[in-house]
Amino acid sequence: MNNLAKFSLGIFLTLGIAWLAFVVGARSQYGDLSPTSESLNEDGSVPVDADLYPFDLSGMAKQGAEEYAALGCVSCHTQQVRRVEAGFDVDRGWGKRPSAPRDYVLQEHVLLGNSRIGPDLANLGLRGYTDQWLHQHLFEPQTLFPSSLCPPSPFLYNEIKDPTPSDLEITSQDNTKDIRHIRPLVRANRLIAYLQSLKQDYELPEVSFVEDDEVVEETELTEEVASAQVSSAPKWLQDQIDAGKEVYMKAAAGGGMCFTCHQVNGEGLAGQFPPLAGSDWVLGDKDRLIKISMYGLMGEIEVNGVKYNNVMAPPGIPPGSLTDDQIANVLTYIRNDWGNSASAVTSDEVATVRKSLNGRAPMQMFTAAELSPDVK
Amino acid sequence: MSEDSPDKTIDRSARLAFSFFLSSAGLWLLIAALFAYLAACKLTDPFFLSSCEFFTYGKIKVSQANAFIYGWGGNAIFAVSIWILARLSQAEVRGSVFLIFAGVIWNLAITFGLLGILDGHMSGHEMLEMPKEVWPAMLISYLIITFLILVIHRSRQIKETIAPQWFILAAILWFPALFLIAWHGLEINPARGTLQTVLSMWFGQSLIWLWLTPVALGAAYYLIPAILGRTIDKYYLAIFGFWCIAALAPWSVVHHLEGGPVPMWIPAIGTVMSIAMVFPIAVASTNFHATAFLDLGKVWNSLPLRFVIFGTLSYTVSSYIGVVFSLPAVAKITQFTIINEFHFNQRVYGFFSMIVFGAVYFALPKITGREIPISAKSFHFWTSTLGVLLLLLAYLIGGLTHGVLAGQPSLPWSSSVISSVQPYFLITKFAFLLLAFSQLVFVVNVWRVIFPNPFAKLFVDQKEAGA
Repeated sequence: MNNLAKFSLGIFLTLGIAWLAFVVGARSQYGDLSPTSESLNEDGSVPVDADLYPFDLSGMAKQGAEEYAALGCVSCHTQQVRRVEAGFDVDRGWGKRPSAPRDYVLQEHVLLGNSRIGPDLANLGLRGYTDQWLHQHLFEPQTLFPSSLCPPSPFLYNEIKDPTPSDLEITSQDNTKDIRHIRPLVRANRLIAYLQSLKQDYELPEVSFVEDDEVVEETELTEEVASAQVSSAPKWLQDQIDAGKEVYMKAAAGGGMCFTCHQVNGEGLAGQFPPLAGSDWVLGDKDRLIKISMYGLMGEIEVNGVKYNNVMAPPGIPPGSLTDDQIANVLTYIRNDWGNSASAVTSDEVATVRKSLNGRAPMQMFTAAELSPDVK
Repeated sequence: MSEDSPDKTIDRSARLAFSFFLSSAGLWLLIAALFAYLAACKLTDPFFLSSCEFFTYGKIKVSQANAFIYGWGGNAIFAVSIWILARLSQAEVRGSVFLIFAGVIWNLAITFGLLGILDGHMSGHEMLEMPKEVWPAMLISYLIITFLILVIHRSRQIKETIAPQWFILAAILWFPALFLIAWHGLEINPARGTLQTVLSMWFGQSLIWLWLTPVALGAAYYLIPAILGRTIDKYYLAIFGFWCIAALAPWSVVHHLEGGPVPMWIPAIGTVMSIAMVFPIAVASTNFHATAFLDLGKVWNSLPLRFVIFGTLSYTVSSYIGVVFSLPAVAKITQFTIINEFHFNQRVYGFFSMIVFGAVYFALPKITGREIPISAKSFHFWTSTLGVLLLLLAYLIGGLTHGVLAGQPSLPWSSSVISSVQPYFLITKFAFLLLAFSQLVFVVNVWRVIFPNPFAKLFVDQKEAGA
């Protein structure tokens, strides 16, 4: 104890042994876990053609995870379903099975958390909340759960004075407040994409679903929210979205080739091409979108507060060749993917706009200044 | 001057560094108190400051913990360690300029770190939430201070070392080791999946067990005999207690992962080691209380000692409660509830801070030659005691309510479980307000002793000039 060197050696040794166990030991035990199939062949190999779990998060969801971490959501929400003998989590309907280490191997930010002032979110994506509902919850949770302690996040939204049909309508449960309309910023859309991606709905070789008939559904969902719920998109809408996606992705004659600039994930390219995901233009007025889809756009445009200056030739191959149906479909698609959620565009609406532009020279691109006024 | 006792010379040499670290610690204490109050306000009224992204609940909560541990805890550890080690080594403090230089970097790093958190650059690792850009500055400034503290220890007159020196030196040396391990495992060679959580959880908890705790224990081992003028009862046990903490604490902290998505042996070993922790707790408790209770009157009459004994009692009680809550059957209910807050505040307020207050009240008059008014000290003691007890009681009862109700799946979450816990948040809000007042009195008085009225001299000079 009197020799500083020996003393230091002693105290570092005690620390070092623990480090060996928790860092070196645990890492060699499960540091190389990788996605696998729900069940393995008898010889322990992964069956050919089987889906591998967990999935990697989408780009938008990964960005959402960053937002989640930066806002400190982990202070009140865990993302782990405990083993049945260690807690009530499965009984509460927070997951179909306990979480396993493998569920987290692809996540850059592992946000298990250790405090539950709010409910566990490990399987939030499975509870059937619509994006719209989650947006409302982020904007002001008390409109859905009057007694919630979750702080509202109005800074993720623009409150809109003159709403268009695509803006979210916020009504409080007890109708004590006026109806408000909000439009999510792209950050909110990322967060929603992340939250919707939280699901452990697959079995793994090491853990299977808990068989238990006493498991209740998330009670608050069934009791208080059922009325506010909208089921997943109806078939006609889904058909339109699917057809629109084809136009968006097609880079041959008759296609829109949109993805080459706005990217497959709808995020655009920073500084060059504006994002469509969460874009105030895409989620906003339909007329503008239709006009751009027919004639293209040039010059400076401000999207979500960021200025871009580029040329968008009239979409389609050849340019300006998209039909009314195609425009309606592709616009419906971009308004309803990547976390976007806005009303569909019909070919009648497109036809009306086309009629109103009768006489405009083909290929004469719009400018943002020309389009902006009709927002208000 | 030449007739000064050696203690006086040592105190004078420690004055600059001690004053600097203590006055910065005081500022951080107030900042942490403000954050704690704001966080409590947000839990009672979710709309409070909600439109301001800078102050989400998550950010404030994390900033409070960081300001408290690194700002108040770190600076207080430097001040107390430097003075106690200098006294015990009978060696003067050298290189005060470098100590202050390093201290300024440390404080700047934390300042930028907290601004980073509020600005949305939180890293998400427990107790390492400050953006990683400030980590090097923290480590380097800490190492400079460590080096100078070791210089004091190396130049000691008496070769034989005693308990306070072991505890304080170990804490000083453990911190950079923990920090490097966490840095390596989270950033340099990042662990995948839930290993990240194991490591950051281990770091965050070890910080309290291997950094704050040993310094406070060391200070208690120094202050109790020094003030009472008697030796520690059953002192031969102290070495056993020390090595038990060194060997068990790094293992015991992981019991918080019980039931989670990590290999089962990790929380299991944590639970076993937590139970084994009853030995070092019993040793420290016996040493302190067997000594103090021989002379209760003196303990009561000496304000610094009253603070210290409050701290050691709190340590004993909280540690035993911690052992009970680590048992899987109990953890099933208490895990993830606001009992976590009970543990944290019990340790950092009830134990560490109270002992540091005692040490400051003991050291400050010796170092500066000026006394803090007894009424202010007394006010500080009673408001702190009341605040801490109120806070801990609210978190304890609230936490049990939280756990028991959450365990009943038929109860809806926010309208039933959390609503039942909410009244306790209201109590903690008042407790934090009370503690903030209490600490304001402490800090103002410390500052007034360290920096006596700067205008007094001016005033006298003007008077003389006028005359």
